[in-house]
Formats: sequence, C-alpha cells, structure tokens
Amino acid sequence: MNDQQAQPREQPGGEPVDFTSFDELVEMLARWSGSLPEWPPARAVRAEWEQIEPRLDRARRELSRMLVVGVIGGTGTGKSTLVNALAGCDLSPAGDIARPTTINPVVVAPRDVDLSWLPVEAMNARVVRSDAAAVANIVLVDCPDPDTQAEAPRHSGGQATHSSARPSDSNHNRELLEAVLPACDVLLLVSTAQKYRSWVVAREVAAFAPGRPLLFVQTHASRDPDIRDDWRRELESQGFVVPRIFRLDAVEAATRSAAGLEPDAGFRELVEAIDAELVGRAARRVRRTGSLDLAGWFLRQSQESLAPLRGPVAQLAAGVASERTRLEGILARAVGSRLRASRTAWQRILTGEIVERWHGGPFASFLHVVESIIAFWPRMRAAGGGLITRLLAGQPADMIPAGQGGWQAVEELGLSAAEVEQSRSVLCGLSARARLAEPLVGRARLDESRVAATVGTLLERTAAWLSSGIDRLVADRRGRIDGPVFRWVCEALFSGLLVAVLVRAGWNFFVGHLWQGRVVDGGGFLQEALVWVILWGFFLRWIAFARVRVGLNSDIQSLVSRLPQAHLTDPLLADFAAAADATALFIDHGDRLSRDHEGLVARLTEPGGDLGHLRGDSR
Amino acid sequence: MASFPRTGFAAWAGSVEELCGLIDALQPLARSLGAPDPQADEWYGSLFGKLRPQVSREPVLVAAVCGGTNTGKSLITNTLVAAEISRSVPEAARTRHPVASLPQGLAARTDLAALFPGFALAPWQSVQDAIDLGPDASGNADRLVWREDSSGRQPARLVLLDTPDIDGTLRENWHRAELVRNACDVIVAVLTQQKYNDAAVRDFFAAAAAAGKAVVVVFNMIDWPRQRDRIGGWLATFTAETGVAPLAVYAVPHDFRAAEAGRIEFHPLPELTPDGAAVDLAVRLADCDFDSIKLQAMEGALRVVLDPETGAGCWLDSFETSAKEWREARRLLTAEARVRVELPTAPREIVWNEIWQWLEPRRSGLDLTVSKVYRVAGKGVSWAARQVGLVRSEAERREDFSTVELAALKTALGDFVERLDDACRRNPRLAAMLGARLVDGDRAAWYADLERRHASLPLVSEDYRTFVRNELDRFAKENPGMVQFILTGLNVGAVARPAITVALGMAGAAAVPAAAASAGGLSVLVHHVGDVVVGTAATIAGEGALGLTMAGLKPLIETLFAGWSAERGRVLAETLHDVVLGDRLEEIDRLANAATAPEVTRARRLLVECSRDLGRDMGREVSR
Repeated sequence: MNDQQAQPREQPGGEPVDFTSFDELVEMLARWSGSLPEWPPARAVRAEWEQIEPRLDRARRELSRMLVVGVIGGTGTGKSTLVNALAGCDLSPAGDIARPTTINPVVVAPRDVDLSWLPVEAMNARVVRSDAAAVANIVLVDCPDPDTQAEAPRHSGGQATHSSARPSDSNHNRELLEAVLPACDVLLLVSTAQKYRSWVVAREVAAFAPGRPLLFVQTHASRDPDIRDDWRRELESQGFVVPRIFRLDAVEAATRSAAGLEPDAGFRELVEAIDAELVGRAARRVRRTGSLDLAGWFLRQSQESLAPLRGPVAQLAAGVASERTRLEGILARAVGSRLRASRTAWQRILTGEIVERWHGGPFASFLHVVESIIAFWPRMRAAGGGLITRLLAGQPADMIPAGQGGWQAVEELGLSAAEVEQSRSVLCGLSARARLAEPLVGRARLDESRVAATVGTLLERTAAWLSSGIDRLVADRRGRIDGPVFRWVCEALFSGLLVAVLVRAGWNFFVGHLWQGRVVDGGGFLQEALVWVILWGFFLRWIAFARVRVGLNSDIQSLVSRLPQAHLTDPLLADFAAAADATALFIDHGDRLSRDHEGLVARLTEPGGDLGHLRGDSR
Repeated sequence: MASFPRTGFAAWAGSVEELCGLIDALQPLARSLGAPDPQADEWYGSLFGKLRPQVSREPVLVAAVCGGTNTGKSLITNTLVAAEISRSVPEAARTRHPVASLPQGLAARTDLAALFPGFALAPWQSVQDAIDLGPDASGNADRLVWREDSSGRQPARLVLLDTPDIDGTLRENWHRAELVRNACDVIVAVLTQQKYNDAAVRDFFAAAAAAGKAVVVVFNMIDWPRQRDRIGGWLATFTAETGVAPLAVYAVPHDFRAAEAGRIEFHPLPELTPDGAAVDLAVRLADCDFDSIKLQAMEGALRVVLDPETGAGCWLDSFETSAKEWREARRLLTAEARVRVELPTAPREIVWNEIWQWLEPRRSGLDLTVSKVYRVAGKGVSWAARQVGLVRSEAERREDFSTVELAALKTALGDFVERLDDACRRNPRLAAMLGARLVDGDRAAWYADLERRHASLPLVSEDYRTFVRNELDRFAKENPGMVQFILTGLNVGAVARPAITVALGMAGAAAVPAAAASAGGLSVLVHHVGDVVVGTAATIAGEGALGLTMAGLKPLIETLFAGWSAERGRVLAETLHDVVLGDRLEEIDRLANAATAPEVTRARRLLVECSRDLGRDMGREVSR
C-alpha cells in the first residue's frame, strides 16, 4: 500500500477493457484540445486541458495509492475538532479562543506510510502520524478556512480605514487552502447551521469540486438544529449530487474517543462510510469515477465555452458559400458576355475546323482557297490580349503574369479586385464574430505573395476549364456538319453549278459553235460564270457556317452555367473556407467526444454510495 | 419632544440636493464614457441612501440589525420590538427582505419611500413577508416590509429594522443589507464566535464604521457563562479589523429551546462598554442621544462622499481620465482612418455639358454656328470611330465609368473598414465603441447600401448643376472680361484625374463646397485632393479642336471638376455615416469633451463648498 509502482490494470469484472477505453478517451481529448491552436477559443480549451491533464495522469498512475481526504469548511465549523476525533487525539489545534484557529494545514497519516508522493512542502503542511483505525487507510488533511482572508486585493473603494493596516492583512488562509486542495482526492465538506449558506465557502468548493468526490458533514449537532434538508437543497442548486449528509458533534466525538468510549451514531456512520467508500478497492473506484467526472467536467466546460461560437462558425460557412456564389456569378456573367462578344474569333475557330476536315471535293477546295486568301488579311479585331481572346485564338494559356499583373489578367475576366476585396471584407467581419483572425484567415486585401498564389491558381483553373469547355463546344458543333450527307449535299450543290457551267460552256462550243455555227461567246460567259460560281460558293459557305453558328449563344450560356461546378473562385476565399471547416470540425469533434464520454459513464459508473459529486449543470 | 437641531444640516441641504441632481444627470454620460458605475461605491450609497433622504426631512433614528446568515438577526429584532415581525427559522438566509418596525404615526407623517431609497415598500401582512415577498409591480425585487409598532412602546423617533444576511450565497441579500446600512444611523451588529472574523462580515461593518454609524455589538449563541471571558478577545479582533468603536456590547447565551420559543436574554457586558453602564439593549436604543448619533451619522456619510481618494470627487476625476482616452481615440481615428479614393477619369463631357448649357444664351451667332459645325463634324468622326471599334459609345463609356467608379468606392470602403479594424485593435476605447459594429454589422449590407446609393446617384445631380451655375455666375461677375476667355477657353480640352480623401473628421467643414452643401453635419469628410490638368489631351472630335491653354481658367475648372468628384465620393461618406458607423463619431466627439461638461464643473465646486463646511483639512485635499 505504501509504495508506488506501476499499477496492475487487471482486475476482475472487466476493468481492463473499460480502462482502455478511458485511456483512449483521454488520448483523444489531448489530441482534440491541441488540434487548432491558432483559434483562441480552442486555445482556451487547451489551457483548461493543461490544467486537468496532470490530474488525470496522476490518477491513472497512482490508481491504488491511498486517498487524500481534505477536510474543508468555514472557520469555526469544527474541522480541526473533527480531524482530532477521527485521529483519536489532539493533533490539530482546535477551539474558540481566536478565529481562525488553523493556519497551516495539518496532514494526518497512518504510521509507516511513505508520503514522498505528497507535496507537503508546497502545501506548507505539518505532518502528524496516527494509529487510529478511522485514518488507518487514508491521509487526512485539516485545511485552512476560506472565509477569513479578505478579498484580495483589498478594494480601495469606500472604506475610510483603507490607510490603516489591519491584522487580517497577514491572513492568507484562502491562498494556503488553494495550495492544499489540488493534492486532495476527496473533499470532506464540514458545515454548520451558520455557515452552510456561506458564499465564500461555496465558491471555493465549486472551484475544486470537479473530479473530486465529496462527503458532507454537519457538525455542532448538539447545539444546532438539523439543517440537512435545507443544505441538500442548497447544494443541489449549486449542481451537486448529494446522496447523504452526515450529522455529528465533533466535540463530543473527540471527548468520547479521548475517553475511550463508544462513539455516537453520527460519528460512527461517518467512520463506516470512510471505510466503505474510501479504502481498498473503493479507493480505486473513487479515483476512476473522479477521473471520469473530471473529464466530463472538462468536456462540459469546453462545450459551454464553444456554444456561443456555433452560430458564428455556421454563419461563416454560409457566408463563404454565398460569397463564393456571388463571385462565381460575376465571373460567369463576364466570361459569358466576353465569349459572346468574340464573334470573329468563334467564326475563325469554326471555319478552321470545317476547312481542316473537308478535303478533296470542289467545294472543299473552294473553302481552302478562300481560307488561304483570308489568311493574308490582318487580324484586326483582336479585342485585347485577354485570356479568353488568347484561348479563342488557339494560343496556350500558360503565360500567366504574376503579382498585380495577375490581377489585371483576372480583371480582364471581369472579376475585379474590388469585388474580391468586398467578399473578403464581408468574410473578415464574419470571421471576427467567430473569433477567427490571422493567421487562420487573411486580411480583406490580398498581399503580393497571396495574390501571386491565389490569382495564379485562379487563372490556371479558369484557363483549363475554359479551354476544355471551348473544345467541347467546338467538337459538338463540328459534329453537326461532319456528317457525310451534309458534306455531300454541299459538294453536290457546288459541283452542280460547276457542272452546269461546264456543260453550258461545252454545249455552247460543241453544239452552238461547231454544230450550229454560232459565234463563240469568248471569255465573257466564263467570267460571268466564275462570278456566279464564287457567289454560289460563298452562299454555300455561309449556309455551312450558319449551321455551325446557330445556337452558339445558348451553348455559351449553358457552358457558363456550368461554371460554378468548377469552383474556379475557391482559391480567393480558400483561407476562410478552410478556417470555417476547421472550426466546425473542432466543435463537432468536441460533441463526439462528449457522446463518447457519456457512453463511457453509462458503462463504468457503479452505483455510488455516500459520496457526492459535482454534476456540473448548476443553477 | 425636543425639536431636532437643523442648523448643522441646513447649510448642506441645498448643496446635497443639487449634488444629487447633478450626479443623476451625469450618470448616462459616465456610462457612455466607460467611467466606473458609481452605484457600487460607498459614497454613492451615503449620498443617495443617507444624505438626500434625511438631510431635509423629519429626523428619525434608524437602527438596523445586521449580521451573517443564521446568526439570529430576526430573533434579536423580534425581541427588541417585542413582537414577531420577522419569522425566525432554523434554515439559514431565509430573511430575504428587510422588515422595519416604525413608531406609531410615522407612516402617516413621512414619505417612507424617500426614507429608504432603492426599496419598493410593502406594508406588513404576516411574519412570512420577509421570506416570501416577490418583486413589486414595477419589477423591483428589493422590497422593504414595514409595520407600525402596535404596542406604542417604541420611541417616537426610532425605526428598527431586521435585515437580510451579508455573507450568504444569495448575493441580492448582501445588496439589500448594504442599502439598509446606508440608510441607517445605528447598527446592531450580530456576531457569533464562528463569524466575528469572517472577511465578508468584517468588510460590511468596516464600511459602516467608515460612514460614521454608531454600532452596538451583540455576541449571539454564547456558551454562557463559559465563553464570557473569550468575548473580550473576539471584540478586540473585530474592532481592530473594522474600525468599529462600539457604543455597547451584549452577549446572548446559546439556548436552542428558548430561541425556539422566541425568548432570548441580553447580557450587558459593562466591562467592554465605554460608559461602563449595564443598560438593557432596548433601553439603550430608546435612550441614546438621538441628536448626536444622527449628526455623527450624517457627518460620517458626508465624509464618505467627500473622501479625496474614494469619494465623489474621485468619480468626477474618472471623467477627466476617460475623456482623455476618448480624445486620444478621436485623434487616432482622425489620423488613421483616412482613405484616398482614386476615382476613374470622369467622362469629360459631363462637366462640359453643364458649362455649355450655361453659356448657350451668351454666345454670338457666329460662335454658335462654328460650334455647331464642330459638333456635327465631331459626331460624324465619333460615329465612324465607333464603327471601327476604336471608340466606345457614350452609353458604353458611361457604363464602363460607372463600373470602375463603383469598384474604386468599394475598394475604399474595404480599406476604411480595415483601417477602423486596425484602429480598434490599437485603442480599447475605439474597440468598445466601434468594435461591435465592425464585428456584428452585416458587411454584405454595407456594400449593398453603397451599390444602391451609387446606382441612384445620377451622373449629374441637381445639386451639382446649381453649384456649377453659381460658380460660373460668380466667375463671370468677378471677371467680366473673362467671359470671352471662357468662350475661347471652353475649346480647351481638359482631363480631370479626380482623387478624393474620405476621412473621419470631428470638426471643420468639407473642403469641397458641393459636397459641403448637402453633406452638412456629416462627420465623414470628403476632401478633394485631385489635380485637374487643363489644356492637354484634346480628343479626336468636339470642342478640343482649337486647343488653347488658359491659365486664368484653371482654378475655375478645377473647382468645377473637384465639385463633381467630391459629390461622387459623398456616396461613400454617406454609407460610412449612415450604415457603418451610425452616430458613433458624434458620440466619440461628445465623450472627448465630457470633462468640460458644466455639470462636472458645478459638481466639483459643490464638493469643495461642502468640504469647507465640514472642515478645512478635508477641503484642502478635495479641491483641485
């Protein structure tokens, strides 16, 4: 019992499994609490975790060492008297001569027990040994009171006596108490009819109750009325679960125990409860339940602190979605109108397609001739050197300028820096509401390096998306005239005129001139015929191109309507989207861990005896 | 009955009343300044709880029984008034409202509500009142139950009160006990061996001692006579801690059964009482020197109000400190929140058209004909240029301009918000004033508002038209010879490169008259910083063909263009003022000037006057 070695986990009753899952929970809590250190609320959760992690860790390491029971309560409630009664002798000064009586804490331990694990120095405590049966298997600490030290620092408002020193200025009992309580595993709260509704005591107990089971004792039983029912109501309103309150008279118990007499009922019940609830295997249970409670308390605190942020985080996610839609809308409108406006460029692409595919026939030859003549014509209406123009001109889209040049390229797409800044500024506001700041999210105005990164990505994506979209559109249109029927009809119609001209010329020569002896027409007819052939050729060309061109606007429209699915503008708002996701994930993860914890509590909690605990949902 | 000596207070009465009025009037300002709430201060309680109600009214002596939870206050009160006015129960902290026992006829003579400020009064119905009473119709949960002494034995000027506890878990009980402490003259301090040295108990009575209350100490639940010897030590601790100099000390033995029956016994402790007399507590309260106790309580209260370190003057000092911080905030805003808006080059015909219209009736026939020829020719050239795609149509150009202009305004708005954010980060006062607006405000709505204002602003507004006419009229009157110049000068091409700064300003008018005309009172200023270059860039058609630089015209044209661009910038200023910031700038301005408010000065003078009345030594400390 008295030395600390690695604790055997194997216990009958399936403990290993349960403890493994608790260990896993603790591990997940540690990971979760540290998973988003850039977010201040998550940092606060982490700070809270760092407070309780050593306690959980210690509880697991020292699973079977004896429990430290801290006796706390207001001054004059008989803490020291009770400790003396339990120890069976006057170890701790008690009495009514001056308040407060106990200043330095007194640690009562069984003889021969090694206390090297107890931070006696830090507690400013005096250690005394006792052979009494009641304290044979626990370490008892008589704590200083919390209610005689002035609220530090003494507020200067109001009291004209502020200048004069008071004796209580040297009273640091509450600070001493706060140094002792962290070492305690169980709290034994002592109170009287006068003190059970003391605000200061309630505050101190509430601060140290998480993860520490409690025993409640009303003393001064021989003088005071029984206030246990009212005290229970008060404790329950503070969030405690109170299975039992003991009532005894410590003075009488101490007298009887000093005289070697049989203790009275109230005192005996307390001693029995200590034996049943705090010793041996029960100690392991206390520690385990305490750890579970503590983890639960941490989770509840975290949930409470994160609760007001759920709304803002969701609003930020919704804001990212709506700003994204807005930017995509702007981009889609501008890209659409620019594509529609580049009539000549489309013409050229589509013509090129037809010409490239049609070979051999007279009409095809005609088209080729026309094309090569047009090729000499300077490309005069190239409306600027924007991405769309370049793409439509069949140039590669990978020449993307960096920095402010990048912005210019984006602005040619119709998305101005002002619009992007507007979206980012709106999201900055939403982020601030969710307490997100740099470095998780950037500022409204993108700086040079970010512009280079985001705008570059935006341009690349847009170029890739546009060029594949244009290719698809062109391929689709090509399909309309690529069929042999249409082509042969065109060839036939063109050849028909050609044949007709040739036949007419042949007829004129052979029949009219040679046979009937008419004068030869000369080149006049042929010149005329050539003009007609050319006009006919252009007419057919116009028909063929019209067939390709018809419905181009609606096709562009449908191409542009698919733009949002391409998530082109995502890089511009990526930091906000990522932050919204990360924070939502953090909150969700916390919820999941809470559910895990509840499940674990349902599985592990054994029917509690006389020990109370802090439920947490106070008032 | 001897009449109460009013002379001592007569001098204060007017000052106290006026001071209360001033402090009431200053409280809203203090709240917006971020100065501490005076209602939590002792001096405020003394002034409003003690001095104001009693300085000019029928003097009654108020004695209150105060102490920690379950120390037997109700039982002691019941014994003192010889009737059960407040139920005494074993459970702690049950008395939640003070119960007053008044001498016969007092309720008819006196306005009780004024005697106990802060409380909603209720006539006594039963002993349960102090435990069960809920808030009154107006929602005031601080109730005070009163009843007149039925026996007629209570001295005619003595009011006795049972009070809630001062250390329990219900903090509103503390507050009520403090209100009673402020209003009373004598305190019966109920102490027990468990509680005489609790910090909460000490603090309560230390404040009472500081305010000059007379205190009678009752040690209750004494193991009598075993603990009689201990009481001296306990009392010494108590008086050293609190500064209380008790009038008398009593012990009440612990006797559970007697207490349940409502009987208790007061043992005078003459060895601890200054006058050494073993007088019964009720008799002592009835016989005590009302006038000197009253005077002492009033002086004590006044001393608390005048205390140089914690009194009302100190609160007034906090105005100066806060106002200084607000001045710094204002300086930061003016310096940092200043945005330069680069507006796009204005479609030049906008200003010119206005000038032409003004000129039309003043021009010679020849000039008009020539001009018409130019215009026709210009139109032809423009049409041709549009067809080949070299020049965009006027509508297109206006649309382009509008888009670019809106983008510039949006950029400026974003810039502004970011600067305000930064300023808030650097200055906590600004953060308090504007932070919530910047964080909780719907920024999308700000931009929507800017878009709406911009869309509804015509390219040339009536305001601007009037402004141009007035400017030209004035110019023509001042320079009669220059009209001819104008006519020639109009053929000069001009390009405005307008840039304006929009700044948060607290004083002074906008630099640009057109903006000032309709933006009067705006705290968001629009300054024109643009340059107008006259004589450059004649366009391919229209008035610029003659090309002539007229240095004399430059200021005029500059003003005309500047007015126009300032009007564009006003859209942003209006959005900033109406939607983003509201009237917070005016508020900051008001707060920065708070220290010089006449109420503050007057209140200070009153404090000095009161100190002079009270004694020279204090007066020297308070006056600044």
